[in-house]
Amino acid sequence: MSHAPSAALPVGHYSYDAVDRTFLKQRVAQFQDQVERRLSGALTEEEFKPLRLMNGLYLQLHAYMLRVAIPYGVLDAAQMRTLAHIARTYDRDYGHFTTRQNIQFNWIRLEDTPEILNVLADADMHAIQTSGNCIRNVTADQFAGAAADEVLDPRVYAEILRQWSTLHPEFTFLPRKFKIAISGSQQDRVAARFHDIGLIAREGDNGRPVFEVFVGGGLGRTPIIGVRLRDDLPEEDLIAYLEAILRVYNAHGRRDNIYKARIKILVQALGAEEFLSQVNAEFSAMDRARYRLPEATVEAIRARFGAPDFAPAGDAAEKLVAQRKSDHAFDAWVRTNTHAHKQPGYASVTVSCKPAGGIPGDVTSAQMDLLADLADRYSFGELRITHLQNVVLGHVRQDALYDVWQALEKNGLGEANIGFITDIVACPGLDYCALANARSIPIAQKLSSRFANADLQREIGPLRLNISGCINACGHHHAGHIGILGVDKRGEEAFQITLGGSAGGADASVGQILGSAMSEDETVDAIARIIDTYLSRRTAGERFIETCRRLGTAPFKDAAYAPA
Amino acid sequence: MDRRNSRRDAEGNSVITANRLLDGRIVWLAPNGQWKTLIQDAKLYPNSTVEEALKVRTAHAQENGLVGIYGVQVTQTASGPLPVTSRERIRAAGPTVHPDFTPDWHAPHPAPHA
Ligand code: HEM
Ligand code: SF4
Repeated sequence: MSHAPSAALPVGHYSYDAVDRTFLKQRVAQFQDQVERRLSGALTEEEFKPLRLMNGLYLQLHAYMLRVAIPYGVLDAAQMRTLAHIARTYDRDYGHFTTRQNIQFNWIRLEDTPEILNVLADADMHAIQTSGNCIRNVTADQFAGAAADEVLDPRVYAEILRQWSTLHPEFTFLPRKFKIAISGSQQDRVAARFHDIGLIAREGDNGRPVFEVFVGGGLGRTPIIGVRLRDDLPEEDLIAYLEAILRVYNAHGRRDNIYKARIKILVQALGAEEFLSQVNAEFSAMDRARYRLPEATVEAIRARFGAPDFAPAGDAAEKLVAQRKSDHAFDAWVRTNTHAHKQPGYASVTVSCKPAGGIPGDVTSAQMDLLADLADRYSFGELRITHLQNVVLGHVRQDALYDVWQALEKNGLGEANIGFITDIVACPGLDYCALANARSIPIAQKLSSRFANADLQREIGPLRLNISGCINACGHHHAGHIGILGVDKRGEEAFQITLGGSAGGADASVGQILGSAMSEDETVDAIARIIDTYLSRRTAGERFIETCRRLGTAPFKDAAYAPA
Repeated sequence: MDRRNSRRDAEGNSVITANRLLDGRIVWLAPNGQWKTLIQDAKLYPNSTVEEALKVRTAHAQENGLVGIYGVQVTQTASGPLPVTSRERIRAAGPTVHPDFTPDWHAPHPAPHA
């Protein structure tokens, strides 16, 4: 993996060529035509709905919602400014970053949408594969190309998968949507075991990578941890093997019942062994040469990604140490919001989109512009959206961290809370979503305010709190150490608490429901008592999730339902 | 449309709602047959007659530029009809997390093409 990509290309994302651009423009023209036919009545709503969904346009509670794809979460500063422009011009001045590393605009007009898609296409962006029963936007590690612990750059492989899956004739109408995640490091930062297919890379013997392949994981109504099909898939068989999995799914996945249509149900119904043997049979029978992924192709794709031209300052590390010593708030932020970079003298910054009492994942157009400016000045013009609804500046010189932090602080983005209880994941819930049972955002805001004290958060330590407004689990509540699920009690909102979920790595687990649903305020109080229980029962150095596993749910349940 | 919204008592009253096709915004059927953005303007139908009214209105959805026409049970209050479910109360009033985004919200500056 030695080929040095050209520095002239945009850093971090795949550079489009004329073919890609023509394709996008054609898609916009096609949608323009479909919208016109809908407005004239030539297309009924039933006929039009799947067409608009294929272009990322949903009808939500108050208006249309447009979901814009951010392939593997990476975008450049100009693209971020395009998103800011869309928020300002066509929406209400903000956007919402999602757990699929995309962005949603909540107040879009149908009549503006072709124009918006044109504006996006001019910035090499689109809303394709954000909806429908296709292979969705492939997600990847937010520290791709930067993390000290990285084996390979997952974006290159995510892009290969994107090219293979976009418009794949057999895979445009799968039984149900299909989500793939890829981690380029042994540290699973993508929740690989909660995806239809999850890939985790490691170094192979011949200098080329091999992949661990998980299949049939998912959240939603039936949360399931994916089973490992292989731990040694060679790079050159990556496409062939995924093709084989998809073929088995396409042939046998259920199309009669939407709740049983995901691949996870098929894997469970057949049993992991039978599923594996069917995939292997398909894999052996197929024309492997046709699907082979040669090293040269991988390197050609890699060459389309610009790489940063690192120029570390010799004294960056000492300067940082001095700044941290003289400013405690900055020191706290560096501790929580930066991640070790493979290049000495650099760090990756996670910008918190979770201010105290704020709406998780919402950013204003002005904040988007600021992030774009910071990316241009300090991070080679490149940004990433994380599946935990934050933003990453991948490559910041250590001696620039102080300036970055100050700029973020001034603009409501300086919260030092990554990985803490207020780094809450929340779906849009009943304030926006037509499928919701309950509002996710207000309870997130109350919890965020309740635990806003920085010392208290540090005292509690690492804790993942995830909130979904219904069982579809867009807010990953099953994978939260503490999860909150909105339910409908005869037309009124109520909330269930789950405990002990975990997204990453070999100890991935599904949270257990503690008991019956409560009102919003009761739930907030119950969570405060759960935290108190943890603080009083933990052993030295024990994290929240570890205490949950050691004690089981009983003491937390007693605390949650203790009479006030 | 969600089944939950069709729950209606024999006795109660309902209003009729839809989304506008062009911009997706929520509207309510007023007594004069116009579709208004404020639920306060909506006409009350006894639940015994609302199904019939819905049928008629749905037949005209395309020419009226509407999608997803359905009935919403309400109680009558001093400030107008109040939906019985939290979902419909939020639809009627706007997202609770943005009190500024009331149903008659307008962009402070219109979009360039508008
Ligand atoms: C507001 C419009 C949305 C609608 C209508 C919607 C709908 C759904 C539905 C129906 C499912 C369940 C699919 C299944 O199990 O087959 C689902 C799952 C999911 N959604 Fe959404 N969603 C919306 C917004 C979001 C947002 C804002 C996020 C991110 C914050 C998101 C992320 C996800 C994720 C990660 C899943 C994963 C569940 C899985 O793969 O098993 N969705 N969504
Ligand atoms: S979890 Fe439910 S409420 Fe939340 S965004 Fe998904 S579908 Fe909507």
